[in-house]
Amino acid sequence: MAQQQPPIQSQQTSEPLLNVQRMQFWLEKVVCWGQAGSPDIQKDICLHLRRLQGFLQQLVSHINNMSSTTEAMKSLPFLGQFLGRLCWNPYVTADDTSRRLLFQCMWGLYSEHPSNAVERKANQWIQKVLCQLATEEDNAAVQELMKRMGVSPEEYHLKVLRKMVTLLQENIGKSCSSLSNINQRCSCESILATSEACVPLVTCPEAAPLIGALLQRPATCVRAALSEDFLDALSSAYLSQGASLEEQAVVSLWYHSLSSLEGAVLSLLESLLTNTGSTPLEIKQHVAKSLLPKACAQHCSIFLVTSDIFRSILKQAEGNKSIKFLIQTFTSCFLRELALLQPQEHVSLKAFFPQSPQSLLVPLLTLPSEMPQEAWRHHLNWISSSVQRLTEEEEEGDRDSGGSTRGHHKVYEAWFLLVQCGYWVQVTAQLLVTSGPEDFGPLLWLLTFYHHPTRRLHHRALQLVHAKEAWNHLHCLFLVLAGPLPVDRLQSLLTLMSPQPQQPLSPLLILKLLVNFAVFSQQQLSRSTKILQTVVDQSGLAGEAACVLHSLELRLNEESCVSSDSNRVHLRIKALQNI
Amino acid sequence: MEAMLKNVTSTVELLAVAAQSGAVEQWDKQTLSRAFDWARYCEHVFSKFHNVPTVRRIMETQLQLTNQGLQAALPGYTEISFSDLSRCQHLLLVGLLNNPELPSKIMEILFDITSNGNSKNCEYPDVTGLCSRIIQYKSARQVLSPLADLSAVGADAAVQGVMLMERLGALLSQGSEVCQIEHFLDSVLLGCEEAAQHFCLVIAAALLTPKNSTASHDFLLDWLQKKDSMLQHMYSALPTRLLKDVAKEHLKFRDAYCDVLKKWASEMEYSINDRVWVQPSSTTTVSFQKLTEHFLSLFEACPSLKEDVEKELSALKTSDGDFDVRGLSVWGDLLTALKK
Repeated sequence: MAQQQPPIQSQQTSEPLLNVQRMQFWLEKVVCWGQAGSPDIQKDICLHLRRLQGFLQQLVSHINNMSSTTEAMKSLPFLGQFLGRLCWNPYVTADDTSRRLLFQCMWGLYSEHPSNAVERKANQWIQKVLCQLATEEDNAAVQELMKRMGVSPEEYHLKVLRKMVTLLQENIGKSCSSLSNINQRCSCESILATSEACVPLVTCPEAAPLIGALLQRPATCVRAALSEDFLDALSSAYLSQGASLEEQAVVSLWYHSLSSLEGAVLSLLESLLTNTGSTPLEIKQHVAKSLLPKACAQHCSIFLVTSDIFRSILKQAEGNKSIKFLIQTFTSCFLRELALLQPQEHVSLKAFFPQSPQSLLVPLLTLPSEMPQEAWRHHLNWISSSVQRLTEEEEEGDRDSGGSTRGHHKVYEAWFLLVQCGYWVQVTAQLLVTSGPEDFGPLLWLLTFYHHPTRRLHHRALQLVHAKEAWNHLHCLFLVLAGPLPVDRLQSLLTLMSPQPQQPLSPLLILKLLVNFAVFSQQQLSRSTKILQTVVDQSGLAGEAACVLHSLELRLNEESCVSSDSNRVHLRIKALQNI
Repeated sequence: MEAMLKNVTSTVELLAVAAQSGAVEQWDKQTLSRAFDWARYCEHVFSKFHNVPTVRRIMETQLQLTNQGLQAALPGYTEISFSDLSRCQHLLLVGLLNNPELPSKIMEILFDITSNGNSKNCEYPDVTGLCSRIIQYKSARQVLSPLADLSAVGADAAVQGVMLMERLGALLSQGSEVCQIEHFLDSVLLGCEEAAQHFCLVIAAALLTPKNSTASHDFLLDWLQKKDSMLQHMYSALPTRLLKDVAKEHLKFRDAYCDVLKKWASEMEYSINDRVWVQPSSTTTVSFQKLTEHFLSLFEACPSLKEDVEKELSALKTSDGDFDVRGLSVWGDLLTALKK
């Protein structure tokens, strides 16, 4: 018992003690800031603004935990002086968060029913300071004029603020022409100072045009750099939706600040992966709305960073089909944005996919809708054999030099590109329905590779065997149009899909094949439904089946293939969805 | 008319209550919002009728009565005049914030203290956080002002110039009498010695606003011509760059500018000790060099003027004896300086 007490006690005493010292630190800082507004002081304030907010938040809790103002003032002797000085610092009062926290601190010290002289005085002081802040004018001439012209202070200050923003915006718009002479002074030096000054204004909607102009001015001059504090403040404000920026300004922000881009990508991933109930269409709309595909199309560097993030996420979760679908959706949105760009802005695809096997780039990045349906099979055969060749090279290289990482890398990049262009994998599954025993080979190989990229030679062979088996079963089930249902086939299929520990083949692969067979084959709808229903019930993969159906529907809607088949297919999909 | 008088009277009483009595304890968000709505109503009444003498007289009489009544009822009551009504909302706010019996919940509403920063949709957006917004705008201005000292006029004067032009335009379009408008300009721009420099800037800014209605500019210029001291002040205090811009836009201003420069030159005497031309003690002392700068800048703005002025100066030099010796004729020396 006695042993337990000291740690708790030290915890209680260490916190207020820490605060008094930190109070001293912050008080000294604030006193220093109160002196003449040199650019260094401005920079110091902007540097410390975030931490000051953290400290103020602590103060708010501390004050609210105290039972009275007297107690609060006793626990932190310089509190009043500190808060008072902060009130007159425009950098602190311009920023939404710091102003709010500051007022909350002040208000925490206001006593509803003051019990002694100290508290009464505190109340008076608080009301006086707040009143002065809101109603007094520092410039007598301005005050006179306002009175005589009958202008309200709110309207006046707002107009002047807007005018200042306009003036500064125009100044930034003037491009610098001192490219030739590096020693020549230019107006770009003010850009750094202006961006620094905007740190407390990132949440002020009136300053948004200025911030947009700062972000989007062409980066022609070496001296026209933006302050790091500014970019950090802006990106955290944007992520917490405190800042309202135009589309192009957001793209520029991501271009300038790596951390804000990463934040945006991760927040997109998070929102999509936690929302497990979204349909593929909703996911696609969400991705398109996020501005990231557009930004990627406009700036190669943004796309490269985004791809890297996707790559590393995927490495940690290879089998995760939601992530794969997200990457696929993202890439198709990106390609669409790329196609919308003006011709003179076109960058070669190689720049966007530097690590991917070059021979596969154009074949995979061509959308299926850009190609006649009859050419699909040949196209996919070619792709399949190319990738097969890559894996064989890698395995040879392994045998020869005992593990060459370059070979691994190539195969992995090929697989990643395939994931990005997942629409081709969907087409593969569809074509496997209409394949015969002679030509399903390459397609099945590709499908298996998509689901199981990691090279383990022995396993791959086994996987292919199982896949062939599954395909055979499905082929029989769905091609036998008359007669009783071959139940034994169905049973074998289910066995293949059951989650055994040694199961080399992903049940999702088989499910995908199954759904495609159910939709595209000529089998009677009632029979197909029955087969699908049985499998789904017994394997418990209802959600996944629904997902496959949705994304199939989405793809077909987009491709808008006008074949006699499409209506039939759509009807079947609808019927199957109702299971 | 009756209703309007009643409403204005009630609002004035409201202001008194807000500033002094403990009745504000009972106010809630809705009451606060309505109080500001009524204050806005009064401002509207003012802007509509301040130029209509008949209505104005009636209102002023009524206000006098109300003031008397309130003075009797509340000690320390400050009178409200008709022209004060133009800033009714501000007066309401000042009154409230200075009221020692102001309840904390009103403060919380005005300063938006209880929100956690995410309440974008609230029922009374105009009063919620009103003070917080004002403070935000003022602070943002202060943060940006060291950077925004770019234009010759400055943001404050520019905005005030626009406002001045707007009000002038409104007065003219309402068909007010000339003397009334002049009275308005007098009341706004004159009578405050310390702020004279600032008001010069405002006039310059006003003259530089885009020419939507030449009538307003002309009126202002005519008025300016009659105010000699203000005019003198403008020419001597404002930077030449600014004067040049204004002269470019307005012919009358340019001509007056030129006349004043010539007048200054004619007043100059040659100081043999310092070997320069100086203006003997006058309210606005301009050096010979500055005078030259003024002329040069004027010529830059209006090249057509250059020839005429030079001819005039030549003629004046001839009348002085046409000597080419320094120090004898201010016109001669001026010509020499200008030709350099």
